[in-house]
Amino acid sequence: MIIPDYALMQAVFLPLLLSPVAYVLGRKAGPTVAMWFTFAVLLYSTVLVVSAALAEDVTEEHYPWTEMFGEFGFLMDGLASPFAIVIYVLSTILALYSKPYMIHKFKEQFKEEGRSEQGGVEASVSSSTSSTSSTPAAATATAESHETSAALNSYVNAKSGLYFALYLVFAMGMLGTVLATNLIEFYIFFEVMLIPGFFLVALWGDGPRRKIGLMFLLWTHAGAVVLLLGFLMIGLTVGSFDFADIDESVLPPDIALLSGVAITIGLGVKLAVFMFHIWLPYVHGSAPTPISALLSPAMIGIGAYGIFRLVVELLPATYSELSIWLHVWGLVTMIYGGAMALMQDDLKRLLAYSSISQMGYLLFGIGSVSVLGLSGAEMMYVTHGLGKGLLFMTAGIIIVRVGTRSISKLGGLAGKMPITAVCAVIGALTIMGVPPTSGFMGEWILFYGALETAVAEDSMLRTVTFALGLLATALTMSYMLWMLKRVFFGKLPERLSNVREGSWYMTAPMMVLAGFTIVLGIYPDIFLETIVPYMEWVLPATGGGDGMAAMAAAGGGGP
Amino acid sequence: MASESAAAASFLPPIDAVPEAAWLVWVIPFAAALIMPAIGRASHRVTGYAAVGFALMSALSAFSLLPMALAGGEIHDQIMWIEAIGLKAGVLADPLSVIMANVVAWISFLIMIYSTGYMKGDRSVVRFWFWMLFFIGSMQLIVLSDNLLQVFFGWEGVGLASYALISFWYRDKKKDHVGQEDRRVLGLMDYYAPTHAGMKAFIMTKVGDVMMIAGMLLIFLYAGTFGFKELVGDTAWAVEMSAQGLLVPAFVLLFGGAIGKSAQFPLNEWLLEAMTGPTAVSALIHAATMVKAGVFLVARLGPIVFALGAAGILADQFFEIVAWVGAITALLLATQGMTNPEIKKVLAYSTGSQIGYMMMALGVAGLSYQYVDGYTAGFFHLISHAMFKASLFMAAGSLLHVVGSRFMTDMGGLRKHMKKTYAFMWAAGLGLMGAPFITTGFWSKDAIFAAVYESGSEWALPLYVIAVLTAVITAFYTTRMIGMVFFGPKSEHVQKMEEEGHRVHEASVSMWVPYGILAALTIGLGIIGLSAEEGLHHLFEVYLAESFGIHGAEKGTEMASILPGFLQGLNPVALGSSLAAFATGIGLGYVFYIGRHADPAKFVNSNIFFYAIHKVILNRWYLNAIIYWCFVVAPLWLARGVSRYFEKTAIDYGMNNGLQKAVGWSAKVVQGTQTGVSQSYLFVFGAGLLFVVLMLMM
Repeated sequence: MIIPDYALMQAVFLPLLLSPVAYVLGRKAGPTVAMWFTFAVLLYSTVLVVSAALAEDVTEEHYPWTEMFGEFGFLMDGLASPFAIVIYVLSTILALYSKPYMIHKFKEQFKEEGRSEQGGVEASVSSSTSSTSSTPAAATATAESHETSAALNSYVNAKSGLYFALYLVFAMGMLGTVLATNLIEFYIFFEVMLIPGFFLVALWGDGPRRKIGLMFLLWTHAGAVVLLLGFLMIGLTVGSFDFADIDESVLPPDIALLSGVAITIGLGVKLAVFMFHIWLPYVHGSAPTPISALLSPAMIGIGAYGIFRLVVELLPATYSELSIWLHVWGLVTMIYGGAMALMQDDLKRLLAYSSISQMGYLLFGIGSVSVLGLSGAEMMYVTHGLGKGLLFMTAGIIIVRVGTRSISKLGGLAGKMPITAVCAVIGALTIMGVPPTSGFMGEWILFYGALETAVAEDSMLRTVTFALGLLATALTMSYMLWMLKRVFFGKLPERLSNVREGSWYMTAPMMVLAGFTIVLGIYPDIFLETIVPYMEWVLPATGGGDGMAAMAAAGGGGP
Repeated sequence: MASESAAAASFLPPIDAVPEAAWLVWVIPFAAALIMPAIGRASHRVTGYAAVGFALMSALSAFSLLPMALAGGEIHDQIMWIEAIGLKAGVLADPLSVIMANVVAWISFLIMIYSTGYMKGDRSVVRFWFWMLFFIGSMQLIVLSDNLLQVFFGWEGVGLASYALISFWYRDKKKDHVGQEDRRVLGLMDYYAPTHAGMKAFIMTKVGDVMMIAGMLLIFLYAGTFGFKELVGDTAWAVEMSAQGLLVPAFVLLFGGAIGKSAQFPLNEWLLEAMTGPTAVSALIHAATMVKAGVFLVARLGPIVFALGAAGILADQFFEIVAWVGAITALLLATQGMTNPEIKKVLAYSTGSQIGYMMMALGVAGLSYQYVDGYTAGFFHLISHAMFKASLFMAAGSLLHVVGSRFMTDMGGLRKHMKKTYAFMWAAGLGLMGAPFITTGFWSKDAIFAAVYESGSEWALPLYVIAVLTAVITAFYTTRMIGMVFFGPKSEHVQKMEEEGHRVHEASVSMWVPYGILAALTIGLGIIGLSAEEGLHHLFEVYLAESFGIHGAEKGTEMASILPGFLQGLNPVALGSSLAAFATGIGLGYVFYIGRHADPAKFVNSNIFFYAIHKVILNRWYLNAIIYWCFVVAPLWLARGVSRYFEKTAIDYGMNNGLQKAVGWSAKVVQGTQTGVSQSYLFVFGAGLLFVVLMLMM
């Protein structure tokens, strides 16, 4: 396949440059045109990314930047390509899904604003969602007078323009982060994805959305600042911010350790690991669902990407020192997130806690100093992206069609929305790690890595974490199955008797993802082919696959 | 069918089978499942025929492998699967797996035929057929895979299919529940909705799967392969593992998976609630798929472990654990079969108990010099159990269909109205009881007794006592079941039905034919049972010797047998206790439930000792309640506590508000220092300078 020149540059910057167009199109021509435009832009960019990934093992582009920071580059190697592909595939698919969901949301807000103007009473969002639960917003909207509907149309057009513009910038920020080749560039993209994220939550979230938006901005920005401190420590000591120039042996050990810790903590906030997870349930719960479906599967995992690229690759000695802490921290996050997910009644909050737990798996895998453990962790990112994407989309359909997200008010929906139910089950299986979904492929490779190191180091602690980690998968299964049971099975409450299946804009993207997770589960080579060689390169001390050799080598690799 | 022609093994010339057939056996059901939704757009009848047709195709491809396998041949075919890690996928069709595949395929096929009648009129038949085919495909994948990872795909596949089928009637209507609504055990309800039951089955077997995957990964770590052939071929991994003391743990962990899937103690409790599924599903789970998967896994792995003995690596503990788990389960579940009022649950207890027998035999095999004796006994019992249990379940399904209640107390006196079901249930029931000389169940059970008795293991005696005791109980509860259903006066429920104009009638043809066939086979094969067993024994002897290098020890001097000619070669002690157990069990059952000479309720209440035993058994030895308290109630309570007192206070309130407060407070502090009074600035400056100077001097 021929890759166009500047493929990665285009893939990253085209969405940014064209976002004003999306805004204008939305204003002038309405949400459908804006949606298809966004879809087309992202599809083109996705094709660029995928073809670049297929064409060569490593695709690099370098552009001159400032003297001070070094060069502005894009690098897509075995590590970055799965992240990049998942991010853009999800973004593209969710653009379609956004339309019905966001129109529903805009209409709701229009009514709410109208009501607060007339009555002068601030109607809380939660009461307005419950009031629409019996009658879908679309039905009431048609009943309103002609004047209001014209006003509503222009309102929806304006808002959808803004939405899709922000959406494009958000997607581009994520991709930029995983392709960056320079510390400062990484930081800039890292913050760029935060800003549209903040607006998307603050403008169209549920509940006290401004407060939650601010919380999102504040916590992740605080994390980013710590990250920046780590970057500056490294960059100023080395004298260059380019990844390629950074050599750990140049750094004094304490600086390396300190910056390693700073970077890990900074990224840990994004990853929402235990104790830093505070912002995540609020933000994922509140964000408009297509954005939740991007935040949770695609965005927070970028924290893990950061740890791979910046700690594992750039600071290997520090990594091997920190690894056991990451391992245990991951385990705690896994169990804690799972236990909290059991306690949730809000469907989206449950999924949010589940994401925390899944990020624990990623961190757990990163903490296993083993080729397959690291590969498994990256597979878990892919698989979590697909599975959690599916589940958040399910939640969105339920919000649109049923009007509530409280699990205790749901039940028996499988008969009413079969496609959604099937996709939700596939998503849940992916998260639970049941074959033939991709979840299993991630999981066994991940746990194999953990076991490999535990045996090689003959470490009691690692053996215990391995066992507990495996048992935590039963916990994951429990909360997922219980959620499915309460939402889709059991008796159908009477007021849900005329709930309908979601529109094709919503179900078709889900079916694509569901198909993808099964294909990947049976044929994981699609990603493993690139991931494993990269991980072998990063951890040269250990040979993948062959147990004996790995054991012998890893024995000396420990701190 | 599978086993009868085993006797002919040595007479057949070697016949080549196509390797594709071994793939097709499991690929066909999966592919068929995938296209079911498309076919489902046609009428329900067409969908049913198509599903049965696909099951037949799979069965035929399994059958085409049979001649090759009975001649002792083997097919091993591989393709590249995960290149990044160098893993191959493949099929291994050796005598063990081909016979198993045929048992699974043909019994599933009969159950599929039965289902066309049983599921008639259900709205969600497409979903039903999808999962049934998926179930069969997964099971065949387990049977024919040549490596553990691929087995695990099937393993989780049967778990998934059982989850979907147990909670098939997901609307949780009252009639689909199991248990009695008003019963409480240790404060917990003993009454389960289908969706709850499905979830319970999936999570409980997952606990086993977690152990299994740990074992798999351990072996992969040392061997660098998941393949069965490779594991046998080079045993360096085992030497290494054994030196580290990890060999037995690894295989015990793998056995953990079998404990979960085969519903062995202590993970047996899901099997009872699995009765919420349609009866065809119960038959499939109990006879052909799912619970047999665990036994098959042990049959797959057992020889690998035992063969290591030749290299001086002993793993007796593994076999001891297998044997004991089997023995405990056999007894524990058999006792519960005596008290339960629900017909399907009695059968479910019986399955768990019979699987316990198989495990016991496979375990004892590894402890004895004649590995092949116990191995054949266990596997032969698997085959005979598959036939009579499938038949019994399908018959029970007919009863449920006709009477509309799952309680045996709601039946009674049905023998005149359902003559065929009555006869078939006796035939299959006799198989389960081990009626002497005419049923397969007798021969296979006798083989197990003999294997345990002759094993020479230090545990032989206690295991043997348990085995015989279980046989007594088995005969008793089977008689009880038949007595309660077919004898005595009609229950109030049946009388009421008849008053309302519902006549009690025989089940439809598509339903009674399949269980009729199996019941007839139980007897028919039983008559030639001894030679069938000997054929299988011979086949496995060759198989174990050729594939694993397991040779039996030379037989000692033949015992001077007191038995008549046609029973030559049987162990007289085993034969005697088998006969005695059958007679005792059926006699007691006759007194209480057929002849009705004594009232069981009065007997139980006659003294406090019987009453207490009855209560403990009826409450499932409290095992279920204890599991729920420890692993459901307590963790939920703990999670709630953490959520309330840590997540919502320390994290949510503390950190979030803490940050806000801290920012506000720091603003105040900074504000406070901006006094604008030069003296205080100078003072602070001076103090700072002094501090720096002092620091420098030190």
